[in-house]
Amino acid sequence: MDIISENTNFLLAFIIGIGFGFVLEQSGFSSSRKLAGIFYGYDTVVLKVFFTAAITAMLGLLFFSLFGWVDLNLVYVNPTYLYSAIAGGVIMGVGFIMGGYCPGTSFCGASIGKIDALVFIGGLFIGVMIFGAGYSLWDQLYMAKFLGSPKVSETLGMSDGFFALLLILAALGMFWVAELAEKKFPSEEY
Amino acid sequence: MKPLVRLALFIVPLGLIIAAVPQNKTKPYKLTANQLLAEVNTRTQYIAPETVADMMLKKDPTLQLIDVRSQDEFEKFNLTGSINIPITDLLSDKYADVLDQDTKMNIFYSHGTIQANEAWMITRQLGYKNNYVLEGGLNYWFEAILNPQKPASTSSDEEFAKYDFRKSAGQALGGGAVAAQPMISAPVSGPVPPIQGAPKKKKAAGGC
Repeated sequence: MDIISENTNFLLAFIIGIGFGFVLEQSGFSSSRKLAGIFYGYDTVVLKVFFTAAITAMLGLLFFSLFGWVDLNLVYVNPTYLYSAIAGGVIMGVGFIMGGYCPGTSFCGASIGKIDALVFIGGLFIGVMIFGAGYSLWDQLYMAKFLGSPKVSETLGMSDGFFALLLILAALGMFWVAELAEKKFPSEEY
Repeated sequence: MKPLVRLALFIVPLGLIIAAVPQNKTKPYKLTANQLLAEVNTRTQYIAPETVADMMLKKDPTLQLIDVRSQDEFEKFNLTGSINIPITDLLSDKYADVLDQDTKMNIFYSHGTIQANEAWMITRQLGYKNNYVLEGGLNYWFEAILNPQKPASTSSDEEFAKYDFRKSAGQALGGGAVAAQPMISAPVSGPVPPIQGAPKKKKAAGGC
């Protein structure tokens, strides 16, 4: 039996969503310049924030599992369709540089009335329609190379904890490079 | 101190700790002792041999008999259509899909009911559903289905109906009864518990 009913679940998601959007907006993520900055090197806050969030969540889950507070077997792992993940990543990345938003931040920007965010959302819906209407054209690619729900640590044959340590070190390395880049390509005031 | 250094001082030790400690691979028990005791007291896990025989005769596709005795004993004798999961291998990953599912009705059996009950208790504690125990085990199966004793002439009609069912079922399932009898089914076999759906993992959507 579910402890939280579906309706309560939606309500909680609504509250968490508002909180998430509020924090995004307050951190300046509703500005397409800030988001695009990561590709030009003058502002790498996006990288630092999202990677720190991922690491916090990762450490939280691993420690909670260690203490027996969370059953990791019940945590949903997104299934991997390798080719569509690559294709989707490329499309998302190109859209990110061109539009200066990712889906979540575009709604964040739209909510405070940014016109570029509204245009981005329009493009998002056009993309969704093209995907849906032309589904039969790319469902081969979309479903290709299904790998189940593997974890990187399992694929590499190491423990979750050791992979977590490697990821932390990689993140710190990236943050360091990102700060160097910020010094090397200073932004003009906007 | 620079924020990056501060962050590193905080998360690197945490990473070192989590890399050094063994992974928690225990399968947590889902039922409290009280909940399990309540189930044990109501004897919900037991399925009467007549019910099982009836399902076998009807070739009920949801029936999955599971022999929890050793492989040797399984090979010497087993109930038709059963599979062997020795209780020593009960928690092996290769049987997880068989024991934790929502389409079949698993019925454990052993000579008596001890091993079958052990298997049931462990799987029940893990939160698995649709696992049951053959009441009386194989010993009672032989007695009741394969070699039923004719009730005394003063017995009730119900007793005779039960006997007739057992005898004909025993014959059909490879027992030693003699005369052919018309099949009497439903009234003597107990109710079949419904198969319970397993909790589905919820799909989560996310991203930035």
